Amino acid sequence: MAHPIIKFSHTTIHYNSRIALEDIILDVQEGEFLGIIGPNGSGKTTLLKAILGIIPPSQGSVQIFDCSCEKLRCHHRAKIGYLPQKELVDPTFPITVWEAVMMGRYSSIGLFHYPTKQDRWIVQEALEEVGMSELTDHPLGQLSGGQQQRVLIARALAQKPQVLLLDEPTTGIDTPTQHVILDLIRRLHREHHLTILLVTHDINMVSPMVDQLVLLKTRLYAAGPPREVLKKEILSQIYGKEVIVTDRAAGSYVIVGDHHA
Amino acid sequence: MSEVLAYSFMQRALLSAILIGILCSVIGVYVVLRGIAFIGAGTAHAAFAGVTLGFLMNTNPLIFAILFGLATIWITQYLSQRGDVKLDVSIGIFYTFTMALAIFFLGLMRVYNAEVYGYLFGSILSVTPHDLWVIAGLTLFVLLLIFAFYKELHFLTFDQEMAEASGIPAKRLFFLLLNLIALTIVVSLKAVGALLVFALIIIPAAAAYQFTHSMRWMMIYSVAIGITASVGGVLLSYEFDLPSGATIVLLATALFFLSVIFSPKRRKKVNLAV
Repeated sequence: MAHPIIKFSHTTIHYNSRIALEDIILDVQEGEFLGIIGPNGSGKTTLLKAILGIIPPSQGSVQIFDCSCEKLRCHHRAKIGYLPQKELVDPTFPITVWEAVMMGRYSSIGLFHYPTKQDRWIVQEALEEVGMSELTDHPLGQLSGGQQQRVLIARALAQKPQVLLLDEPTTGIDTPTQHVILDLIRRLHREHHLTILLVTHDINMVSPMVDQLVLLKTRLYAAGPPREVLKKEILSQIYGKEVIVTDRAAGSYVIVGDHHA
Repeated sequence: MSEVLAYSFMQRALLSAILIGILCSVIGVYVVLRGIAFIGAGTAHAAFAGVTLGFLMNTNPLIFAILFGLATIWITQYLSQRGDVKLDVSIGIFYTFTMALAIFFLGLMRVYNAEVYGYLFGSILSVTPHDLWVIAGLTLFVLLLIFAFYKELHFLTFDQEMAEASGIPAKRLFFLLLNLIALTIVVSLKAVGALLVFALIIIPAAAAYQFTHSMRWMMIYSVAIGITASVGGVLLSYEFDLPSGATIVLLATALFFLSVIFSPKRRKKVNLAV
């Protein structure tokens, strides 16, 4: 087995004085595409924030690039692209598409330095990658939800990351645009050999594209290829009895009772 | 116009108006966009309490103003980071506590001191050469720091958590920003007064916000509006013998309402398809 790029070793994390994640053991290999699923409040976002070093573990450890996540140095953090949940973007903030993507370069540029020609070139390339180079001077807040997500993905790409952490990238976006975003993510994974962790409610949309599915509800219930995880006896442990799994040519299709699958 | 400039007190007043106009409107962009207006208002009252203590002890009032202003920032930040008290609650407590202290110190003085009230209501026409040097020095210091950390402050104002996640020391820089806000208030205290300084911080930035969707341009417009209000206010107050601090703030407010009325954001709502 190759050396893991991200490693959770018996990790327990408290958030707002309650247990958000308990005794997580998980290895992520370089270049792997992971889908992280689970009901609301199951600790999916906390898992990403632990990797970013924003929330430290109370027991066990989280490591990335062989470094403890809560002690990450700036140059390591710059290698982790992060797309937070959409509500975090203030639509009234005066910022253009170009400015938002350039922020992805800031940690690499370093304190007391200003963007160079190379940084501007990287920003332009990232915008072209997500198909947003026509709208560079537009205010970010005036774009549609799907366009904003593409800009924020471009910002993560401008960091020249090795790892991409995506938190519900398709929530609140209409279905055709969801497919555009997911196709983009799939292409980035393929072409840039990125390690991707994608948190989602939508089991059926991501399961055909990921290498591994991680099923989370405070504890880690299952981790493995989608076919092995998407089984009624496994899913009903966390979603209750109202789980229907049908086998189709493209893979399993899942319906769960709380309509958040 | 030229005769106005012949008086040295007017030269000093106009120079300090320009400096304070620039400084307040630059820092105001961060205050408005981060929604931390209340922190500034609380700090202004704390700084005034420092001024009164300085007068009471017959020492330089600015030193105590700086100490009180910074202490308010440090203590309220400490309380909110420990999670004991929400930031707006602790600022609310300090706002009134320091005002009570100021009234207390004023009461202890026993005699009426017009100069102290200058710090409350502002008296830009009585800025001394020494005051001007202090204003110029502190303005330069704050602007240099903002210039040095411009891109990081820009990022953390937009999204502090993302900035932290990407490796920028956002928490420490936010703390620095709060300290710079406190210094800005102290610098402007003599000219516009503790009660009004805050208007000069938020109004130019809020007016500039009406004209642009870019933070860089918001800062440029804010500075233009800030200088117009402060210099215009000084000239009007000299010409018509009006209270200077109030004239500056009233002029700034008028510019704000004009900006809202003529805002391109109001007239043109751009709609873009997916």
